[in-house]
Amino acid sequence: MAKRSIVPFGPQHPVLPEPVHLDLVLEDETVVGAIPSIGFIHRGLEKLVEKKDFKQYVYIAERVCGICSVGHGMGYCESVEHIMGVEVPARADYLRTIWMELSRLHSHLLWLGLLADAMGFESLFMDSWRIREKVLSMFEKTTGSRLILSVTCVGGVLKDMDSSMLKEILYTVEELRKDMKPIIDTFLNDYTVQSRLKGLGVMTREQAIAAGAVGPMLRGSGEPYDVRALGYAAYKDLTFEPVIATSGDAYARCEVRLKEILQSLDLLREAIEKIPEGPISIPVKGNPSGEYFMRIEQPRGEAIYYVKGNGTKFLDRFRLRTPTTSNIPPMVDMLKGCQLADVPVLILTIDPCVSCTER
Amino acid sequence: MDDRNEIRKITMAEFFPIIVRMKEENWRLVQICAVSVDDGKRYEMSYSFCNDEDYHMITLRIEIDENEEIASITQLYPCAFIQENEAAELFGVKIVHINMDYQNKLYRIDTEAPFKKKG
Amino acid sequence: MEKTKIFTYAGTVLKNLFRKPATIQYPFQPADYPERMRGHIEIDIEDCISCGLCMRACPSSALKVDRKAGTWEINRFDCVQCGYCVSVCPKKCLMMKKGYTAPETGKSWETYKKPEQPKTEPSAAAGGKPAMDPEKCVYCTLCAKKCPQGAIEVDRKEKTWKLDSEKCVECGLCASSCPKKAIEMKG
Repeated sequence: MAKRSIVPFGPQHPVLPEPVHLDLVLEDETVVGAIPSIGFIHRGLEKLVEKKDFKQYVYIAERVCGICSVGHGMGYCESVEHIMGVEVPARADYLRTIWMELSRLHSHLLWLGLLADAMGFESLFMDSWRIREKVLSMFEKTTGSRLILSVTCVGGVLKDMDSSMLKEILYTVEELRKDMKPIIDTFLNDYTVQSRLKGLGVMTREQAIAAGAVGPMLRGSGEPYDVRALGYAAYKDLTFEPVIATSGDAYARCEVRLKEILQSLDLLREAIEKIPEGPISIPVKGNPSGEYFMRIEQPRGEAIYYVKGNGTKFLDRFRLRTPTTSNIPPMVDMLKGCQLADVPVLILTIDPCVSCTER
Repeated sequence: MDDRNEIRKITMAEFFPIIVRMKEENWRLVQICAVSVDDGKRYEMSYSFCNDEDYHMITLRIEIDENEEIASITQLYPCAFIQENEAAELFGVKIVHINMDYQNKLYRIDTEAPFKKKG
Repeated sequence: MEKTKIFTYAGTVLKNLFRKPATIQYPFQPADYPERMRGHIEIDIEDCISCGLCMRACPSSALKVDRKAGTWEINRFDCVQCGYCVSVCPKKCLMMKKGYTAPETGKSWETYKKPEQPKTEPSAAAGGKPAMDPEKCVYCTLCAKKCPQGAIEVDRKEKTWKLDSEKCVECGLCASSCPKKAIEMKG
C-alpha cells in the first residue's frame, strides 16, 4: 500500500476567494479522502433576526453575501409576504425577476472568470470579468448600487425602472449575447479547457441525488430540477425549461452555467417585453405570525428560507440554507479519487460561497 | 403559486421508519433546521425532503425536549453531517452518532449553544 | 455543438492587442457615477425635527440623534448605504447622493447641529402639534403605535387620548396614519 499523507488545503489558497479549509488524505498523488472544515467567518446573522424588526432585517439578509445578495433579499421578502398573505403587485414581481436574472448573469460570469483563473487561463478570466462589468453598471444605473442592491422590501420593490432603463437593459442583453460567443466557444470547444475539465469529478444522477447536490451540480448530472419551474415571482408567466447536461463531470457543470447565461438573456428579454404597468409596492400592515419554507433558485442552486413569526415585529427564527451548504458533501464525494493538481478546479466547480454557508 | 410544500408533524417512534422510507423512495435531503422554543426548554427539528420529479417538498417536524437525545440520520443520508453539526453546535441539540462529529468545532466559536433561547 | 478546436481564443487575443483598454485611468480620468448612485447620505439639517426614526431604522446603528442638543450624527464608516433611513424620514430631509466617502485611517463620527431657531416663531412646515377630534376618533390606538417618540397614549376602554407635548416632535405621522382622519396638525 502506498504511503498516506495529509495535505492541508486552505483556508488561504490562491484559488479560493473565501476561507474554507480541507484536509486532503493522499495516497501518492491521489486524493482518497477529504475532511471539510468551515467556521472562519461565522457572524451569527440568523440570530440577529431577534433583535432587528422584520422590515429592517431585509437589509441584513441581503448582506449575508455580496454575490447572492439579490436572491437573499427576494427569498426573505417572499417568505414573509407568504406568511402575511401579502399579494405583491405584478410590476414588482417582474422587476424582482429582472434583477434576479441580472444577478444570475453576473454570478455565472464571475464563476467563469474564477474557473479560467484556476486553470491558469488568465486572458479568459479578464475577458469574463470585462463582460460582467456591463451587468454591474446596469445594476448601478437602475438601483444605485453595484452588488448589494437593497431595492427589495416587504410588499414590493423600492425603485421603479422607466422605459429608457428597460431599453438600456435590452441593449445590454444584445451586447452580452454578442460578447458571450467567443467565450462560450472557448470554454466548450478549446482543447486546453477540455483537457482540464473532461472526465473530472464525475457524478452520476443517483450519486448527486443521494449526496443532496443542488443547482448546476445536480443539473450537470442530468437531473432537470430548477426551482424556477415552480413559478414564484414572474417566472409563472415566462417560458422556462431547466438546462441540463448529462456527462456529470466538471465540463458538464461548466456547460450548464454557460447555457444558463444564454437562458437568462432570453428570460430578461421576455420579462422586459411582458412587464405590466402599475404600482411597485403595497403598504404592509401588521406583523407576521406563522411559518413558511420558501424555495428560490439562486445562481448557485436551490436556497431555502425558513421564517417563523410570533405576531410581534421581531421574528422568532430565520433560517437560510444556502446552496453551498448542500454542495459541500457532494464535493467531498467528488474529490475522492482525483489527482491533487485537480483539487482547485474541482472545488471551484461547485461554485463555493463561504459567506453564505456560514452566515 | 402552487408551492407543493407541506409540514408534517411526526413523533419520535415514527421518525426512523419514515426516514428509511424516504431514502428508499429516493427523496433528496434538502435541509435540517433547529428552532429553540419555549424559552429554550424544547426544540423543533425540521427535516425537509424534496422529490425532484414533481417538486414536492415535505418537511418532517419533530419536537424534542431540551435534554432528549435524537439519533443522527447520517447513516442513511451521509450528506446531513454539516447541518446536523450546525444544529448541535449552535442550538445545543443532543444529536448522537453523527458520522464525522465535529465535537462543537465546526464554527470555531467560544460560546456554547449561542443560538439557543435563554429562559 | 461540441467539438475540439485549438487556438480558439487567438482571435480575441489579437483583437485585444489593438483595442482600447476596458478600464479607465482613475483617478486621472474621473469616474462617471449614474444618477441613482447610493454613495453617501446628506442631511438638510434645517428641516430635521430630531424624531429619531432614522436612528432606530438603521440596521448598522450608524446614526445618533440627540433631540435636546439638536444634533444629528453619522458614522460614515459604519453606514452600509442601504437607504432605509432615507425611506423612513417623515420630513424627507435625508438624501442619498453620489460619490463615495473618502478613505481615512480610523472610524469617526460626523456631527451636524441644528441652527438655533427663535422660540416664538412656530415652524411653518411642521404645522404644529396634533389635535384630536373626539367626534371622529374610534380609539384604534394606531397613532400611538406609529408615534416614533411614544408621545401619544390611547386607552380604548376609557376612551381617552392624551398627548405628551414635551415628547412630541411634530412629525405628523399620527395624522397621516389615522384611518378616520381625526387628527389635525394645529399650531
